[in-house]
Parts: sequence; C-alpha cells; structure tokens
Amino acid sequence: MSDFVPTPNPEQPEDPFLLKGRVALVVGAGDPLGRAAAVSLAEAGADVAVASLRAGPQEVVRVNSVANEIWSLGRGNTAITLDATDENSVDSAIARTISELGRLDILVNAADLPVAAPIDELSPDDWHAILAANLLAPALTSRAAARVMKMNGYGRIVNLVSVLAARGVANTSAYAAAHAGVLAMSRSLSQEWARSGITVNVLQVGIYEGQRGFGDNPESVQQVARMLPAKQLVQPNDVGPAVVAMAADSGFITGETIAVDGAATARV
Amino acid sequence: MATPDRFRLDGQVVLLTGAGRGLGRAMAMSFADAGAKVSGASRTLSQLEETAELVTERGGEAISISTDVTDAAAVEAMVQQTIDHFGRVDVLINNAGGGAEGDGSPLTDLTDEQWRWGIDMNLTSQMLCARAVLPHMAERGSGVIINVASGFGLRGGRDNWMYVSAKAGVVNLTRSLAVTYGPAGVRTNCIAPGIFPHTPQALERWRGGRYIPIGRAGVAWEMGPLAVFLSSDAAAGISGETIAQDGGGLAAIGPTGWAPRIRLTEPT
Repeated sequence: MSDFVPTPNPEQPEDPFLLKGRVALVVGAGDPLGRAAAVSLAEAGADVAVASLRAGPQEVVRVNSVANEIWSLGRGNTAITLDATDENSVDSAIARTISELGRLDILVNAADLPVAAPIDELSPDDWHAILAANLLAPALTSRAAARVMKMNGYGRIVNLVSVLAARGVANTSAYAAAHAGVLAMSRSLSQEWARSGITVNVLQVGIYEGQRGFGDNPESVQQVARMLPAKQLVQPNDVGPAVVAMAADSGFITGETIAVDGAATARV
Repeated sequence: MATPDRFRLDGQVVLLTGAGRGLGRAMAMSFADAGAKVSGASRTLSQLEETAELVTERGGEAISISTDVTDAAAVEAMVQQTIDHFGRVDVLINNAGGGAEGDGSPLTDLTDEQWRWGIDMNLTSQMLCARAVLPHMAERGSGVIINVASGFGLRGGRDNWMYVSAKAGVVNLTRSLAVTYGPAGVRTNCIAPGIFPHTPQALERWRGGRYIPIGRAGVAWEMGPLAVFLSSDAAAGISGETIAQDGGGLAAIGPTGWAPRIRLTEPT
C-alpha cells in the first residue's frame, strides 16, 4: 500500500460544487443518464469528453449531439466513438480525452444496457454480452482512467447502476447481476485506490424516464410509477446534479452507494 | 462562473440543532455560503452566539435558540421561535446528539436510566424535532429533513449499546419519514459521518493510519457541502437514503492494507 494520503483543504470553500478547471469523461453519454451527467458537469464548470458505450451508429449521433450541448454551454468538449467493452478502444478514449482537453479528473460510467427475459431464454452468449456492456465496460474504463488519476493523485469515479442491483425483479437476472457486480467492484476499487486520491462511488438509480424497455413506453411507465412512493419515474435531470455532488466531493466519501430513486428502496 | 442554481438555497431557512460546535457549526457556515438563513439551536447559548457571529462574518444571517432537544415542549418552542423570526422553516437538520454515559461499559453494568437517556438524546430527540416541524412543512407542501446518524448506526461496536441502537433507529426513522411525507413534498435523508476529530492534533494522529481506508479522518467542513446538496433541489431525486461520509470505512472489512493476490489457475 502506498503512503500517499491526500491532504484536505483546511479552508472551507465557498463554492464547493464548482468544477472549473476539471475534465470529465462520460461513458454512455448517448443514453439519458449519461447525457444528464454530461450537461450537469458542464453547467458546474467542467470540460467534458462524451463517449458512446458500444459505438453503434445511432448512439454515436446522440453522443455528438450531447457534445454540441456542452459546446453551447461554453465548455470544452469532445465526442468519442467508443466500444467500452474493448480494451484498446478504452485506452485510446482516455488518451484522446487528455490530448483534446488536457487532463482527466472525473470518470462517469453511465453505460446502461437493460435486457429482460426469463433465464431460460438467455444463452451463454447473451450473458457474455450483458455482462460485457454493464460490468466489463466500467471495469475497463475505471482501470484505464485510474492509471492517469494515480499519477495526478486525484480522481473521482462515479458509477451509475440500476435499482435492480439491490432489489429483485423477475426476468432481470443477468442485468441485475451485472449491476450488482458494479456495486461490489466499486467497493473493492475504493479500497484498492484509497491511498491514491481516487474516490469510487455509485449512484443507484431507480427506473428512469426514457430508460430503454422500462421507461420508454407509456404502458411500462404507468405500471412502474404505480409502485413508487413518488408515483413517477426518476427524472434523468435529477441524476445529473447527484453526479456533480460526487464529482465535486472533497474526498472523504468513497466506496459509498447513494440511491437516487425517490425513496423506492426505503419502503417495504 | 457561479454555482449552479439547483445547489443554491437563497432565502431559505435552515433550523440546525447542535449548531454550537463541530459538525453543526461547520454546516452553518456552508448553509450561509449557499444563501440560507440559519436558526441555530443547542443547550449552550454562548457557543451558538459564536456560530452566529461566524455566519455573519461570512455574509450570512443567523439566530440562536437555547433548547433541550429531549424535551417536547422546548422543541415545539424552538420551531415556533424560528417561524416567528424568519417566517418559515425549509430545512431541519437533526444534528444534536452524542456519546452517552454507559456506552463503553459491559451490558450487565448498564443502568435503565443510562439506556433511556442515550436513546432519548440520540433518537427520540430527532423524532421530536421532526414531529414539531412536519405540520408546517406539509402545509407548505415542501421541506427537507436531514438526520445525522453515524457509521455506528450501520454496524455494531464492542460494548456500544445506546449509541449504535439509537443511530440505527435514526436510519430507519429516516426511511419512514421519507415514505410517509414524500407525497406531501418533504424529502428526508440521513448522513452517517465517520471519524471527524475535534482538534487539529487529533486529526493529525489519524494520518496514514490503517483504521480509515483513505488514511485520514474527516475535517468538519467536509460535511457542509453534503448537507447543502441534500437540502437543495439538486437532490430532488434522493429521499429515504443514508449516505456514509467516512473515508471508505463502511465499504471495507477489517484494517486497511489487506490486498491479497491469488492467481487464476487451470482446473486441478
């Protein structure tokens, strides 16, 4: 274990949520939560690199449009076509972020690939694909980002997972297992990098508006909303500021999971 | 570059118990920076007045109310006095509490009076303050309650009885408040602080040690931004949740520095 212990600022900062001068990479920025995270980070002053999850053509178009939003907020930006399940593609995305925006302080893994089917219908290949996008991808991006963050003695990694990581819902075995895997991985990495100035935290997001399959059709939205204390799905725009709060934290919060779910998991 | 609006609390009124020192005083500073007015309450008026002076020096506004948070009538008066002065209460921070005589003793030596006092001071007090302020918040259709628990509310400790029980009670009180008053527009969350020493010397003693994963203890001001975030519209999607701020302690098991290596092998 290295002996590096970051020193907290002795002075109480007046603007603790400003991210001016910080550079973030958001993976999965073509999805609603990734877009919300990228925009909120830019609004807080960060420059933001936005990357896709699987480099699909439609996804890349959406990522480019998010980069335009960051540009219109007056922040530095770059759009990266990334297959986050591929080691080399991930390494070049990190290099690209640093060459375009100068540094890397914040990594947000917002990649989300929901799949729901009875386990009898999931082939081993399906499992591999679901685990690759939802679990291997954040592992590869975190690893590559941390190599840079360790040299700087500073890093903030925020992983977004689904509420299904903590609660069982029929037909979501592989997807839920992958997201629960991100929870456990984040706790482990928070310890592995505890003395490197890198925090690793998780936002556990309830079923959200626009979520593929769950929150993008009226029938499903109505069914899910009925079960929630707030009687409505999580709004992606409420997830963005939570990402900012974790990204701007002074470093004493790590290995922690915060539910952004409108009290869904607080109830029996 | 300014703090994003959703993190601001301009014009809002924060009722903060245990505001005379330590974490309470630090939170008062952060609330003042975020634009809120602070009604500070505790037993010792002289300490509160020092906090109020510090708030004023930072450009904020504060009043001081001497109270006993274990006395229902005194708590009702504290809430009424705040409303009389500022016209409303937007945020209640249940921060008062602390170690009780009898914790640290063998269970068989514990008196009934010690047990009741420990539970009164750390759990009943938070219920009393919430009960006194909730009709006002529900009537206005908005409000935020933040309960301060402890890492000890989520794990047991040797010869630790009232404190762990009361703080665990606070975690679940938080959930029921969130579920019950969420529909009325009141969000309730909980912060579980780890080790925040009272003096710079004590802070220094934790540096590089193995007990706290990141190798340092917390500095009081670090809790302020988390409390402001949870009080603000930036946390609109978060309710019923407990957030540990403890340098990675709850994510860990055993002393820091255990990093085993086990090689992947072929079947044998």
